[in-house]
Amino acid sequence: MNFKDIRESFRNKEISAKELTQDSLDKAKKLSNLNAFISTFDKDALKKAQHIDNNFNDYKVLALGGVPIAHKDIFCTKGRRTTCASKILENFTPPYESTVTSNCHQAGSIMIGKTNMDEFAMGSSNETSFFGPVINPWGDSLVPGGSSGGSAACVAADITSLATGTDTGGSIRQPAALCGITGLKPTYGLVSRWGMIAFCSSMDQAGPFARDAFGCAALLDAMASYDAKDSTSAKRDKVKYEDALRNDFGKLKIGVLKGIDQLGISEEVLKAYDNSKIVLEKLGHTFVELDFSELSSGICSYYVIAPAECSSNLSRFDGVKFGHRSDSSNISDLYLQTRSEGFGEEVRKRILIGTYVLSAGFYDAYYRKAQKVRRMMKSKFDEFFKTVDLVFLPTTLDQAFEMNRKSSDPNRMYKEDLLTIPANLAGLPAISFPNGLANKLPIGAQFVGNYFSEDLLLNITHKIQEVSDWHKIIP
Amino acid sequence: MDKIELKNLLFLARIGAKEEDYPKIIEKLKTTFGMIDQMNELDLDHLEPLNNPLELTNVSRTDSEHNRNNKKEFLASSPKSDENFFVVPRIVE
Repeated sequence: MNFKDIRESFRNKEISAKELTQDSLDKAKKLSNLNAFISTFDKDALKKAQHIDNNFNDYKVLALGGVPIAHKDIFCTKGRRTTCASKILENFTPPYESTVTSNCHQAGSIMIGKTNMDEFAMGSSNETSFFGPVINPWGDSLVPGGSSGGSAACVAADITSLATGTDTGGSIRQPAALCGITGLKPTYGLVSRWGMIAFCSSMDQAGPFARDAFGCAALLDAMASYDAKDSTSAKRDKVKYEDALRNDFGKLKIGVLKGIDQLGISEEVLKAYDNSKIVLEKLGHTFVELDFSELSSGICSYYVIAPAECSSNLSRFDGVKFGHRSDSSNISDLYLQTRSEGFGEEVRKRILIGTYVLSAGFYDAYYRKAQKVRRMMKSKFDEFFKTVDLVFLPTTLDQAFEMNRKSSDPNRMYKEDLLTIPANLAGLPAISFPNGLANKLPIGAQFVGNYFSEDLLLNITHKIQEVSDWHKIIP
Repeated sequence: MDKIELKNLLFLARIGAKEEDYPKIIEKLKTTFGMIDQMNELDLDHLEPLNNPLELTNVSRTDSEHNRNNKKEFLASSPKSDENFFVVPRIVE
């Protein structure tokens, strides 16, 4: 069942919160081969569900009242293990709650568990997790994408109708595309980063996964809030995204990229993209061709800035105050061994890259230059949005790929993010939705919007999903 | 990057590695920098660096008093602590 039907059934008393929760927990167990969860909280979830059923009238009016949800294991949950899929946090129990999970609890949802992910959100295939890879529900040997692979697999496999994720370079949109569901990366600053374990603070942004735009809108309504505890939180009037699905934004001018067939996108993905353009035309929208020849330089900039911020953010993991500690007789070895044992290979590599590009002598050659490329990306989008309402492009170059296929060639893996990274560098919102099926596997396309245009992104995706069925197909 | 540079980098990052693994690590870093170095082909002189997409300035909270004693909760997360402190190996000889 999708989110809308679940909430409706609960509100109509056709099904109780406890039954819904038990059903999600049963599915999670039955599909444990997917490895989508790092932790499940059966007892706590059923207790909360019972509380909701006992107080039905209070919860039936809430946006997520009675609905089971899964949270990416990057969000700190008070008193419940939070690992970020790393050995260094294998046994970490936070003493505080993230704003995202707190907002979702307050909106009446029931957390059934924390989902698997790439270690510290560094990866595009969910193969870097200390807890093992996640399997794509569409094929036993396929990756679900990353880094929010567990959340995407959870929704795709219908374990829960909603899940949270984070997107630093495409970590919501790419797994959404590879798993055949809808995922939204909000404008930087719309959703609080408080209690979300930091990877690249100037790009990290939490967002919703659901089967469709309706579910994403309801979850974003709960997640988004101004938060004084996050110094980059945007202070804005609250928008009701679910209500905005009914708005009429009129006929839109949609930007499409010149020479998109020269970017290495597969034939199947391009075909689905062209088909979606036909749907958009039928809905009365028009296209404007845009020159974005700088698109591919986004990857270069991202793989300097993200490791730089990662090396700084991850310096807090020293084995002293929390997390894994190695047995060492002196403090120097304690730091060194704790971090070597605690971090996986990809994380260690990114820390080294980040340390290098921030070190004296290389700062201007790498970090400063990457920030200039970032400026170029933002200016490019600013220019686009003077003439178009949205930019439309495929989410990924290809469909879900075999495990171990790209992990041995990091540059090939990094290229996975080619089409998603520009929105992160510019801080713009973007939504990925299923727009086709080929070789029995889903395909995704994305809209990138101007700052704080989530209402428009959700609205247009919803309108497409009213006239298409790609989002309804379950593996 | 040579072995001495890598050794310094590993020390700066507080990451340990066996010397026999150095060539493999150097190779991996070189591959990534090979991709990153494509930035050098761009003319970026006229551009200002961008730190933050919303170009936000620092936000400060109002000073407010609170009497929150959560020492125990935070010490509980530590791998080793006593009643009041995080315990680490001796630092001063």
